[in-house]
Amino acid sequence: MVSRLDRWADPPLLVLASLADEPKHGYAITRDVAETMGVRLSPGTLYAVIARLESQGLIEPLAASDRRRPYQITRAGAAVLAQESARMSAVASLARSRLSGRPGLAGM
Amino acid sequence: MTHRARAAVRAVLALYPPAWRERYGDEVCALVEDSGSGRAILLGLAWRAAPVWISPPRQLHDRDARMRASLATVLVAWSALTGVGLVFVQLTQLQGFATPAHPVVGWSYTIFDAALASSAAVAAGGGLPLWLQMLRQARREHQHRAVGCLLLAFAAPAAFLLAAAVALRVVHHPEGAGPWWFASFAGLGFVAVGVAVAGQVAALRTLRPSGPAVRRAVGAAGIAAMTIVLAGAASVVAATGLCLWARDFAGYHQAGILEAYLILVSAAAATAAVSAARGVRATSCRGAPGRPESGA
Repeated sequence: MVSRLDRWADPPLLVLASLADEPKHGYAITRDVAETMGVRLSPGTLYAVIARLESQGLIEPLAASDRRRPYQITRAGAAVLAQESARMSAVASLARSRLSGRPGLAGM
Repeated sequence: MTHRARAAVRAVLALYPPAWRERYGDEVCALVEDSGSGRAILLGLAWRAAPVWISPPRQLHDRDARMRASLATVLVAWSALTGVGLVFVQLTQLQGFATPAHPVVGWSYTIFDAALASSAAVAAGGGLPLWLQMLRQARREHQHRAVGCLLLAFAAPAAFLLAAAVALRVVHHPEGAGPWWFASFAGLGFVAVGVAVAGQVAALRTLRPSGPAVRRAVGAAGIAAMTIVLAGAASVVAATGLCLWARDFAGYHQAGILEAYLILVSAAAATAAVSAARGVRATSCRGAPGRPESGA
């Protein structure tokens, strides 16, 4: 299912999360993000994000094969991802606890 | 993916800066091939090209290439402004008419003359060392075509002056022969300047010079751009003044000419100013990782 909050999703974070387990090339990233996080990344958005993350040293390119270049997350990228994940977890916990306090909305 | 779809992706990628295209172009093509192309994808790709031009990724930043591109653009815009300015001078100051005595017009002429002269002096002084460096490099590397391109800086104006001298000798008083002679001379002059400038731009692209001479030329281009913009602004004020206070003077009752002149000067001035600013900013930027500065 594609999220209704597509436009609010943070594409750099999604790409970092996708690369957290193993290196992936462009198509593998978009497929992974769509299947596991429910967000469609267009080629324009994906490569804008890849260029930005690469310039910030959060991901790095590996050797290309047949025009498909895989990228892997760097140590700095992993640290940023961990930090952002912790922050999002805190937000999620807060949201869940507040929703549970309102019986009418909790099951929605 | 059809040949047509692949051509459409390539066409959209042409909107991106060359360095970005070189680095990511093939990957994006492969991604679009894998995920399927559609109008929305192509539009999204095209839409994303603008921010890349405005703020290119740091790892793709080639400081020397940026400075060379700025030099080429400023040279084109500067030449256009100078050419238009010289036509303006010819139309107003050098034809023996009594210049209207309104102080605004008089001051505008003075500022225009001073700014144009200092701009030309700064451009020549800042550009000559780079030109000599490129000439030495082209001769050292036996790049005869580049030598020819560089020499166009003098050959094209010299050919124009020779043609003008011969024509003047034949016609004696070209201004008496009507506006066609003047238009022909002006057109020929722009062609000569265009050829000279194209030669320098081609040499910059071929020889790819770098080092202190390029930085000095970029600094000089910045000053030359500022002064030529001032000259352009002064000429616009003078032309507007003539339209307002001397409507019978040298055909300045035609607002259409003034509007065209204003648009031309504004476009060239904006181009020169923006490109010069980008070049000057590049002189103080650090090079991208993995791109060591090459001195020459």
